[in-house]
Amino acid sequence: MKRRAVILASAASAAAILAGWELGALNAMTMPVAQDNPTAVGGFGSNGSGSGGSGSSGSGSAGATAGRSTGSSSQASASSAVDGTFTGTTVSTRFGNVQVQVTISGGALTDVTALHLTDHDGRSVSISNRAAPILKDEVLQAQSASVSMVSGATYTSAAYLQSLQAALDQAGF
Amino acid sequence: MAFLVHDARGLERRSGPLAGVERARAARRLWRVDLLQAAAAASVAIVIALFLSDGGATRFGDLGAALTSLGIIAGLVATDLVLIMLLLAARVPLIERAIGHDAAIAFHGRLGKPVIFLLIVHGVLLLAGYTIVDGVALIAEAVAIWSLPDLPLAILGFGLFVVVVVTSLVAVRRRFRYETWHLVHLLVYAAVLASLPHQLSVGGLFAEGTWQRGYWLVVTYATLGAVVLFRVLAPMILTLRHRLVVESVAPLDDGVFSITMRGAHLERLRATGGQFFVWRFLTPGQWWQAHPYSLSAAPRGDSLRITVRALGEGSASLAGIRPGTRVAIEGPYGIFSEASRSRSRLALVAAGIGVTPIRSLLETAAFRPGEATVVLRTQGATSGWLLDEIRALCRSRGATLITVPGSRGRGWLTDAAEGEGLTLPAFVPQLADSDLYVCGPRAWSEAVIAEARTAGLAPEQIHHERFDW
Repeated sequence: MKRRAVILASAASAAAILAGWELGALNAMTMPVAQDNPTAVGGFGSNGSGSGGSGSSGSGSAGATAGRSTGSSSQASASSAVDGTFTGTTVSTRFGNVQVQVTISGGALTDVTALHLTDHDGRSVSISNRAAPILKDEVLQAQSASVSMVSGATYTSAAYLQSLQAALDQAGF
Repeated sequence: MAFLVHDARGLERRSGPLAGVERARAARRLWRVDLLQAAAAASVAIVIALFLSDGGATRFGDLGAALTSLGIIAGLVATDLVLIMLLLAARVPLIERAIGHDAAIAFHGRLGKPVIFLLIVHGVLLLAGYTIVDGVALIAEAVAIWSLPDLPLAILGFGLFVVVVVTSLVAVRRRFRYETWHLVHLLVYAAVLASLPHQLSVGGLFAEGTWQRGYWLVVTYATLGAVVLFRVLAPMILTLRHRLVVESVAPLDDGVFSITMRGAHLERLRATGGQFFVWRFLTPGQWWQAHPYSLSAAPRGDSLRITVRALGEGSASLAGIRPGTRVAIEGPYGIFSEASRSRSRLALVAAGIGVTPIRSLLETAAFRPGEATVVLRTQGATSGWLLDEIRALCRSRGATLITVPGSRGRGWLTDAAEGEGLTLPAFVPQLADSDLYVCGPRAWSEAVIAEARTAGLAPEQIHHERFDW
């Protein structure tokens, strides 16, 4: 390549890289949901909506504590859980949103349904599909959100358990 | 020994003003070459910019993320280079007229191995990166990756790329006949299409609704569209429009023969001396063979002529082509023509059957009497293919004709001629201020070019046509 071609190529390449860099920085600023440490529960920006299964509902958008329903069904004391279906907060990760729903029956956690799982790209979907059944089994066995995370699905697990905890909090479980 | 068959040196008028049209034309062409090179380099930068614009710069925090990011970049760059390779081989007029067919294909060939290397890096880095990020065993990760969407298809695409590149390595390619190799080479389009889905589905960069996806699809489909347009549709249109048929097959000697073809509207081809077409003679046994041959005479009225030496079995069977046979064409290709002129003086050097484009170029090239020299390596002093025609052209146009007869020596001349101290500058007056056109066997051409470089010719003054594939 001649010197003129090298100069032209360098200038065009530098301009492209710089523009890409700036766009990336701009995106990072306008997308507050992107977090680097998903295991720090409470660190997520999230818009939660909780709806109690037995007639009560509450919705709002706030931080990680949002989603705790203020409806009548969640006024029960912590020791005795209310039966019904409870939806956890939507937790955002950089691979997509996660939201789960729990079913409490007879004072026990009987079912966990994933309403939304990390699905930002094909790899995320594949990871979610692998992690969700494992997490569900662990949670039902432990009857709490205090279970170990699925290896290779750190973001999904953390968000799943966070949303789950919010739903359990609603139920007073 | 060398023979001065026709001496036109005395015809030169020293008073003639230097028009400089050749220099201006060369300057414009070289600008286009530089801009194309810059565009190719910038396209690589753009795909890296796409990655950065998606927040890629933040994904180098830990080892796993960094490996994953680098792996993605390697895949992006490899795919971009594949698209550049396709464009270089797509006979896009803008590229063909600026850098020429030979140079485009040579550059195309040089990119093959780097692409394979980058694709291997892409796979290895992503496997390593995912394994570290997921904290699982390598084998488990490899199994997990296999279940990613469209990944088996992408791995098939990689396998096809490897096949295409390996069959194109010089040592391997020689084992195949051209048509077999070319058929295998066409697998590259399947490889490109097989690898596209995983780019769109596995990576988040090209997720639906992103402008990055839009750019990627436009670039990919535009490239494939250029291939379809210039390699499939354009030749079909040319063939149907010009309706070329063989008029006569005239044997010269030594297995050399001229094929004259007749067609309609040939002026619309805008072909000039020194250019070549890819010819297909549409008979049951021949149609699948594509022959690249230079015009051995400038297009005249409704007729085109090529002169062929039976080098391979394909060209040998052309001697039996019947008049009336229909001919499919692609072209005209190449800038071994006036299009690449950079000086007003001219030196045409050929060996053997390499004389054919020199013969047609001599007919159409612009030069003033006394300012062109033709040097031919021939078997005999006054015998050589098309020598009579070249002598007649030199006489009528005022060009000097020199033949260097005898068998091959160590350099590009015969040993006898070299012993006499003969060199290219000795044959061509003011060689350093001339355009040099060289056509002949590869090693021979390289020897001529090396001597021209030593004599001080700049790269844009040296024009080379190779006729082996």
